[in-house]
Amino acid sequence: MDELRIENLSKDYDGFLAVDNVSLTIQPGELYSFLGPSGCGKTTLLRMIAGFEIPRTGRIYLGGQDITDLPPYKRPVNTIFQNYSLFPHMNVFDNVAFGLHVRKVPKTEIRDRVQKMLTLVKMEDQAAKYPSQLSGGQKQRIAIARALINEPKLLLLDEPLAALDLKLRQHMLIELMNIHDAVGITFIYVTHDQSEAMSISDRMAVMQRGSIIQSGLPDDIYERPTSIFSAYFIGETNLITGEVTGIEDEYVQLRCHRGNGEFFEIDSTFHFPPTLGSKLTVSLRPEKIAITRSKPRNQDDFNILRGTIEDILYVGTHTQYIVRVGDLKFRVFSQHKRVYFDEKALDWDEEVWLFWHDTDSWLINEVAEGVEASVEPRSLPQRASRKGIPAEV
Amino acid sequence: MNLEAFKQVNCSQTKASRRRDLASYLLTAPALIWLLVFFLVPYLIVFIYSFLSTDIYDVSFKFSLSAYRQLFSGIYLRPFYLAFRLAFITTFACLILAFPVAYYIARASEKMRNMLLILIIIPFWTNLIIRIFSWRIFLSYNGVLNTILLRLGLISTPLELMRTDFTVLLVMVYVYLPYMILPLYSALEKMDFTLLQAAMDLGANEVKAFFRITLPLAAEGIFAGSLLVFIPTLGAYLIPQLVGNQRSLYVGQVITYKIKNIPRNWPMASAMSFVLLLLVAAMLIVMYAIYRKRTLAKRNV
Repeated sequence: MDELRIENLSKDYDGFLAVDNVSLTIQPGELYSFLGPSGCGKTTLLRMIAGFEIPRTGRIYLGGQDITDLPPYKRPVNTIFQNYSLFPHMNVFDNVAFGLHVRKVPKTEIRDRVQKMLTLVKMEDQAAKYPSQLSGGQKQRIAIARALINEPKLLLLDEPLAALDLKLRQHMLIELMNIHDAVGITFIYVTHDQSEAMSISDRMAVMQRGSIIQSGLPDDIYERPTSIFSAYFIGETNLITGEVTGIEDEYVQLRCHRGNGEFFEIDSTFHFPPTLGSKLTVSLRPEKIAITRSKPRNQDDFNILRGTIEDILYVGTHTQYIVRVGDLKFRVFSQHKRVYFDEKALDWDEEVWLFWHDTDSWLINEVAEGVEASVEPRSLPQRASRKGIPAEV
Repeated sequence: MNLEAFKQVNCSQTKASRRRDLASYLLTAPALIWLLVFFLVPYLIVFIYSFLSTDIYDVSFKFSLSAYRQLFSGIYLRPFYLAFRLAFITTFACLILAFPVAYYIARASEKMRNMLLILIIIPFWTNLIIRIFSWRIFLSYNGVLNTILLRLGLISTPLELMRTDFTVLLVMVYVYLPYMILPLYSALEKMDFTLLQAAMDLGANEVKAFFRITLPLAAEGIFAGSLLVFIPTLGAYLIPQLVGNQRSLYVGQVITYKIKNIPRNWPMASAMSFVLLLLVAAMLIVMYAIYRKRTLAKRNV
């Protein structure tokens, strides 16, 4: 099996660094995602692996072979394009057979292999149709079959589900995972959709402004973000800035300003040695916070705050509360567990207790500029789109 | 909705569609009448004339097949052969020259594209005869090109550039090139160029990608452009007359001579015109059939 190794890869467009010195290794058979906002360089990175862009510096190795200078048609790599790019003048069979045709594979072998591929993507009875007669999901399947028939060592997927509606997207996601299991080759998946990336990936890399901010297992990145960007871009979070006032075993104590010269303390876990007196940020996922009317009994190992409900958003699977603590606003997600609802539902302007376990707050080695406890999700990630930069397609 | 209401809706729909049919007939009527009066009726006259007998100035109204008998006897086939050969070569040369141009324009930025298209169209603003005469000035024995070449010392005696078969071809290609570029451009402009990347991703090099993707997708443009060049070239009169020679007479010239020179031979001119029309019509029908088969296969299997 062949691992993909990328070393110090950079690419610029007229001085704008689209990909900035990226190095990473993807294991054989892995399903790896590049996740990031548009303009973060994830598609450029993918296109360099495919051979459509020539890196300015750095090398790409596939199974030990340096493929950096190979044209796309000489790389054992195939791509699923965002708009599928099926050939409109060929029917499904000829589309799927294209790669074998240009390699001059014997006709009978082509027929067998196309049939096998179409069966894999459940399109065996559609061989005579033309792309214009297919639905979005069917086009997607043909694009997958057309790529996989070449038995690539690496399959690149560039936002493959972006053009599908929600239900179909979820369905195709599972289908893609099944196909990945069935063929066993390395998949590299590019997306801006964090839930897509988290659910499909073995490992993933969060990208911003051409660099990999954090890479690892999806749950690791979600639970233990190493930067404000990855905390913020993936899921939603509360970011609270404070000063380190104590360090004890694996816990750190932060003094946070709540406005009007009043302070409160947060205990948190950390993944780096913080210095006493430094200003740092705590990331606290909204679903980790419990919200009650009565004061929680167990107070050891818990952070407890008192606040006022400012807003309530019922979203079906859970309710989102915006709770004001001094000048800070906390976002709290609470599931509707009927069994606990022996009291009447929380209401606007009600005084409530917020509490969470010390291990649920997570220290980040950065200061969230201008962000205290955040309310607006997704406002922080910078959109790096500037004039003259090819938009990520 | 109950059945009656449904029937009513259905009924009014058919009424509406009938009204639409009538409207479309009325709207196409002027064009149909125009073609009938100024195309079909004259050709009917030509058809009838081809079966009449010659007279010095006019025709005598006696049925005769002599025009057709002469036409197929031999010497009159050469102008047809020359015309078809010229039309084929012109069309092919236009295609070869127009393709890169159309491709380049289709891939240029929007601003650039509009400017280039205007450059292609500008020659149409000048009268055809003036353009042909400017070629004569350029290519003639004492013309611009010979003068330049003599001054540069590249040649010692002026080149015989005018009145050759090649001159006819050159001016033909020059005049009809835009008719090939524009339809090719419109076909290539619609093409999704990421398809070429997809082809290369699947193992096709640039050449294979061109022949398997670009060329088939430009087929509509090639088809339209070829018709626009081939048909007028086939009946060309003006260009061979102004820059050609008397050794190679094209069918358009021969038809004109048969009417212009005395004794006039109206039946012969008519017979030649009619045969030319039939040949073009036959070609069109065959090409249309091929085209239809292609598009039908693509749309509803």
